[in-house]
Amino acid sequence: MAECDVKKIDVGDGAALPDPEDKGLVSAWWIALIGTIGLLIALPVKDPDTYGRVLTFIPDGILVTFEVTILSIALALVIGLLTGLGRLSKNRYINLIASLYVEVVRGVPLLVQLFYIYFALGRFVRVPDIMAAVIALSFCYGAYMGEVFRAGIKSIDFGQSEAALSQGFNQAQTMRYVILPQAWRTILPPVGNEFIALLKDTSLVSILAVSDILRRGREYASESFNYFETYTIIALVYLLITLVLSKILSNMEQRLSHYEKR
Amino acid sequence: MLKKAVLTLVTLAVMCGSAWAEKTIIFATDATWPPMEFVDAHKNIVGYSIDFLTAAGKEVGFKPVFKNTAWDGIFAGLAAGKYDSITSSVSITEERQKKMDFSEPYFVVQQALIVQKDSKAMGLADLKGKKVGGQIGTTGYFAIKAAEGVEPKSYDEIGLAMEDLNVGRIAAVVCDDPVAANYALIKYKDTLKIASVIKSDKPEYYGFPVQKGNKEILDLINKGIEAVKAKGIDQELKKKWIGQ
Repeated sequence: MAECDVKKIDVGDGAALPDPEDKGLVSAWWIALIGTIGLLIALPVKDPDTYGRVLTFIPDGILVTFEVTILSIALALVIGLLTGLGRLSKNRYINLIASLYVEVVRGVPLLVQLFYIYFALGRFVRVPDIMAAVIALSFCYGAYMGEVFRAGIKSIDFGQSEAALSQGFNQAQTMRYVILPQAWRTILPPVGNEFIALLKDTSLVSILAVSDILRRGREYASESFNYFETYTIIALVYLLITLVLSKILSNMEQRLSHYEKR
Repeated sequence: MLKKAVLTLVTLAVMCGSAWAEKTIIFATDATWPPMEFVDAHKNIVGYSIDFLTAAGKEVGFKPVFKNTAWDGIFAGLAAGKYDSITSSVSITEERQKKMDFSEPYFVVQQALIVQKDSKAMGLADLKGKKVGGQIGTTGYFAIKAAEGVEPKSYDEIGLAMEDLNVGRIAAVVCDDPVAANYALIKYKDTLKIASVIKSDKPEYYGFPVQKGNKEILDLINKGIEAVKAKGIDQELKKKWIGQ
């Protein structure tokens, strides 16, 4: 059985992976970007009464979406780092608290968390809408980020901390100067993905009457009945933002991985 | 092939069905608008307009079927032909009449301003710089947007706006007066009150919209409205659901 024509597969036999250095390649990213920008310019020019009016209606919504995203990501990074460290802690109680937090948050849908913080807890604490959105999003994403941080830190060979400790570094210094700078390279790509996912998930906060991109679009559509035009523009605006963001993140990744280049 | 067979069968079934049964009219309703249309404790869609249409159907021979639909997008569904009409306290406005045909009016409505019990605001003019909430795409929300200086805030459901007013995150809510009365006098009677009724140059009426040009359904609904009004059933229903 083992001997009947086993075909050897060479690495070179598969489909050629696009070489990231090859500038001549037309990438999917460029096609998407040019298409999006092209449509965002062409549609309003062609039909200023519908597409054009949507575009002029939503800019303050874009600002709100950015505000919610940036605040949430900043807070989620802090929560994520603490959770990741907590999950690796040798202290039983810290470990338990961090693990419990991850289990609970991962088990409740984000939409439910949003409702919970805004309407359920709203009976006791009067949290303003944007703050409720930021708390819910960072609370949710903090748990996911915690897992990313944990995996990143664990990916660094134990010999590194042993070496650092033997040089007289204490635990915190080892983490701060030896482990985290290296782990960051493993952590950044998944954190970047979480970042983009979070930006897209901010559209959920429109349910709390936060005037983000989606809410502004829905307000316009409910008055004008131009549903097709409105949601086309909304989708294109989100796409443009995430395309630019993903490019920035992949550039950062490349810079951080310059050690690995040969 | 199978698709074709199934289609034929369905078409046959529909044709046979309409041959001897009375006409079924599917109405979409956003059942979050008590006492006009809402979901009761037994998960049934009930309310003034539900009873109104059921009575109308009995009078002129159609069977209304109610389909719970989110308000935001309810008109898009009508345009796409997902249902025949809407019974969701739809006020007849010029903007809406451009996109769909309306039945005769079946209810007069005014916009009411609801505030917290201890608030001194009497109208939208007293609420400059404050947040005022309404349901997205309703005439109440349009009234807020038209008022100068207030910050409009749109909610998916009026109940969420009322809850936000109840906990004090917004200063007031504007909606149809029967709904306002339901929330301010029953559900939140300890915390909210109706401050005033917003004056308007034109009276506002509810109607049942249909797709532009759908004369068959429209005529049937209009006949039903006429019969219900002629028999005074609408007055009984007002007593039952609104109490006036």
